[in-house]
Amino acid sequence: MQNMTLFRKLITVVSLITATSVLLMPSVVSAQQGQPTIEQLLQEPFLDDYYSNVVYGYEIITDTQNNASRYVGNSLNCSNCHLQAGTQKEALPLNVAGMYPKWRAKNGKRNGIGLRIRECFLYSMDGIMPPEDAPEVLAISAYVSYLSQGQIMGAEPEGRGVPTLPDTGYDPNPANGRAVYLEQCASCHGVQGEGMAGMPPVWGLNSYNKGAGMNDIREAAGFIWANMPLGNGKSLSHQQAFDVSAYLNLQIRPSDPRDSKFLKLLEHLIN
Amino acid sequence: MGNWRTEIFAGFVGAILVIPQGITFAYLAGLQPEYGLYCAIFVTLFCSILGTSSMMSGPNTAVAILIGTAVLPLAGRGSPVYIDFVFLLCLMVGAIQLLFWLMRGARIFQYLSPAAISGISAGAGFLIIMSSLDSILDLSTFKTTFFYEKIYVIISDARDLVNPFSLFIGLCTIAGGYLGRRFSPRYFIIIAVTAGYLSGLLVAFIWPQPITELEYLGRMPLEWLPFSVPTINMEYLMISTKLIPYAITIAFIGLAQSLVIVRELKMETDQDINLDKEVYAQGLANLLAPFFSSFAGAGSFNRTKANQSLGATTPFSGIASAGFVLVLITFLGPILTYMPMAAMAGTLFIVGADMIKWRDIKHYAKVRAELVIYLATFVSIMFFGLATGVVVAVFLSVSVFMLRISQLELTVESSDSGVLLKVKGALFYASLAHLTERFHSHFGKNMTVDLQFTTHIDQSAVDFFIRESKHMAAHGARLTLLINDKQGHFLKKLGASSDIELVAL
Ligand code: HEC
Ligand code: HEC
Repeated sequence: MQNMTLFRKLITVVSLITATSVLLMPSVVSAQQGQPTIEQLLQEPFLDDYYSNVVYGYEIITDTQNNASRYVGNSLNCSNCHLQAGTQKEALPLNVAGMYPKWRAKNGKRNGIGLRIRECFLYSMDGIMPPEDAPEVLAISAYVSYLSQGQIMGAEPEGRGVPTLPDTGYDPNPANGRAVYLEQCASCHGVQGEGMAGMPPVWGLNSYNKGAGMNDIREAAGFIWANMPLGNGKSLSHQQAFDVSAYLNLQIRPSDPRDSKFLKLLEHLIN
Repeated sequence: MGNWRTEIFAGFVGAILVIPQGITFAYLAGLQPEYGLYCAIFVTLFCSILGTSSMMSGPNTAVAILIGTAVLPLAGRGSPVYIDFVFLLCLMVGAIQLLFWLMRGARIFQYLSPAAISGISAGAGFLIIMSSLDSILDLSTFKTTFFYEKIYVIISDARDLVNPFSLFIGLCTIAGGYLGRRFSPRYFIIIAVTAGYLSGLLVAFIWPQPITELEYLGRMPLEWLPFSVPTINMEYLMISTKLIPYAITIAFIGLAQSLVIVRELKMETDQDINLDKEVYAQGLANLLAPFFSSFAGAGSFNRTKANQSLGATTPFSGIASAGFVLVLITFLGPILTYMPMAAMAGTLFIVGADMIKWRDIKHYAKVRAELVIYLATFVSIMFFGLATGVVVAVFLSVSVFMLRISQLELTVESSDSGVLLKVKGALFYASLAHLTERFHSHFGKNMTVDLQFTTHIDQSAVDFFIRESKHMAAHGARLTLLINDKQGHFLKKLGASSDIELVAL
C-alpha cells in the first residue's frame, strides 16, 4: 500500500516537472522546421542569435534611418531601392548570398557580401563605410543569407539586380527625360526631386551620391523601367527610361567620396 | 557647501574627460558608443545625486571589459540580443551591489589588499592595451587563446593584417598624448584625441575611405532621455544564469574601486562621507542604468583626481558633469562623426599604459608577500582574463591576511620551576600549530602561559589547552594560564577551570 502511494507521488512529481518544462521550453524557432517568415519571426518573444540578427537586418533594410543611422548620410532607406525589403525580383533583390565568396581571402580580406553592403552605405546611402564587423553589417549579412535560403550556390538567382535594357539606337536625351520626369514622377518625387513623406528624394543632398550604382544610367534605367512609377512598372518605354535616367544623372547630388575628398569632408562636417 | 562655481567648472572638465572614455569603454563592453555616453551621463548623475562624496562615477574600464567578456559568448557584439543581455547583466550587478549595502558589506572590501587592487588595475591596463591594438592596427577580429599568440600572428603577418593608415592615426594620437603631457598633464587626453582627429582628417583628405578602410565613429543617435525597458522573459532568465558569476565579479570589482576612491577622499579631504551610502548610491545607479540605455559603471580614479585638484568637494560637480556631457555631445556630435576609431584606440592605449605603473612595482617589491599578490594577479589577468584575476587577487589577499594574523610572537623564559611562555597575537585554529611546537619542545616541564597580550582566543585554543593540560598532568607536569577578566569568563564558560590553573591578573 505504502509503495503505491509513493509510486503515485512519484508519477505526479514527474508529470509536473515535464509539464512545467514543456511550458518553459524556449520557443526558439529552429532551422529544421523550414524557414519561418519574417512576420512569424517578428511575433516571437525570443530568438536565437541567428534569427535575432535576421530580424535586426530586416529592420535595418526597411528603416535604415532609425536602425543604422550611424553610417547613413542621406534620408534614404535600403528598401527604397531594394524594393519590398529586398524580396522583389528585378528590383535589386537581396537573395544573393550565393553569388559572393563565403571565405575571406588572406590578404584581400575584405570581400564577400560584407563589402557589398558596406559599399551601399558609402555610396547609395552617402554615409561612411561601416567596419567589416559592425553589428549592422553582420545583421544585414544574416538577413541576406536568410533570403537566400534555397538558392543554388554560385548560380545567379532569377531576377537578380535590374533588367538590362537593350540598346534603343538613340542616345539618352535628358531634355526629354525632364519632360517624362515632370509628367510621370514629380507627383511623388517632387518637382525638385526632393521627395516627400514616404517618397524618397531622387536627387539633392539627401539622395544617393555620384558614386552610387543608381547614378549609372543603365542601372537606373533598368530599375526605373521595371519598377517606376511605383505600382505601375514597365509602363515607360525603354527610351523614356533611358531619358529620365540621364536627367536624374545630371542633377545635383552628393559628391563621389572617391574623387573629391575635401568636398566630401565638408559635406560630412556640415551635414 | 563649497563654492558652486568651482563645482561647475570641475564638472565641465569632468565632462570633457569622460567623453573619450565613455566612447572607448563602450567599445570594450562591445556596445555602440552612445551607450558609453549614456553611462557617462546617467550613472554619474545618479551616483552623485544619491551619494555623499565628490567621487566621479561613470564608465569604468574593468567593469566594461568584464561586461564584454561576460556577454560575448551569448550573442554577436552589439546586436539587439547582446544589448538585452548587457542590460540584464547590469540589473543583476545593481541588485547584487544593493545586497552588499543591505548586508553592510562595505567592510569586506578592506580585506582586498592595495597590492591586489594595483595588480587588478595593471592587468586591466594590459587588457586595454591589447584590445586597443585591434583598432589601432585595424585587425579584422580573430581569436587567440593567449595574448602572445596574437602578438605572434600580428608580427608574422603584419603586411597583410595591419592597416597602415589606421596605424598612422593611432601613432599620432599616442605621440600627441605623450608630448601633450609635457605641457598639460591634466588635459593631455584631449590633446591626444585632437592629434588623432586631425591626422584622421589629413588621411581622409588624401585618400578616400574605400582605400583607407578606416573605421569612423559615425553619427551618434543621441537622445536626451533614452528610456529603455530591459527585456526580461523566461528564456532570457534561463540563459542569463550563465551571467551570474560575472555579475558577482562586476559588482565586487565595481564597488571595490569606488570604495578605494571614497576612502581616499575621506582620508585626504574633510568631506562628510558615508561609505554605506556610497555603496547604496553605486548600486542603485547601476540598477537604474539599464532603464536609461546605459551599462553599469563605477568610480573613476582619474576623473575623481582631476575633480579634486580643481577644488570640487561636493557631489554637485558630478551632477554638473552629467549635464555638460549631454550639452557637449549635442554640439560636438557632427564633428565626432568623422572621429577615426584608431584615434579613440590611441587614447585607450595611453589610458592602459598609465594603469601599469612602474612606481607600483617598485613599491610592492619591498615586501615579498605584496609583490607576490601584485604579480600573481597581473599575470593571471594576462593569461586568463580579468574575472579569473579578480578571484586570484581575492584569494591571495585573504590568504596573506590569514597568514599574517596567524603569526604568533612567542617569548620563552625557562627557570627551574618551569617554563614561562608569553603569547602575543591572536590564538585561534590557524595559529595553534605554532604554539603546539613550543609546547612539545618543553614537554614534561611545568608550563605557565601568559595570555595578557593575546588579542583573541577561540574555542579551539581553549580545547587545545585542556587537552595539553590533561596530557601534561598524566606526566606529572602542570599548566598555568595567566589571564585577564574577559578571557577568564570565556575559559570558564568552556569548562577549562577544572583542568587548568587559571590565574587572573
Ligand atoms: C539608391 C539606391 C540604393 C540604396 C538606397 C541601397 N542600394 Fe544596395 N544596391 C543598389 C544598386 C543599384 C545595386 C546594384 C548595382 C551595383 O552593384 O552597384 C545594389 C546592390 C546591393 C547589393 C548586392 C546585390 C547583388 O545583386 O549582388 C547589396 C547586398 C546591397 N545593395 C545592399 C544594400 C544595403 C544593405 C542598403 C542599405 C544600407 C542598400 N543596399 C541601399 C542601390 C541601392
Ligand atoms: C506613386 C508614386 C511614385 C511615382 C509616380 C514614382 N515613384 Fe519612384 N519611388 C516611389 C517610392 C515610394 C519609392 C521607394 C520605394 C519603397 O520604399 O518601397 C521610389 C523609389 C524610386 C527610386 C529609388 C530611390 C531613390 O530615391 O533614388 C528611383 C530612382 C525612382 N523612384 C525614380 C522614379 C522615376 C524616374 C519615376 C518616374 C518615371 C518615379 N520614380 C515615379 C514612388 C514613386
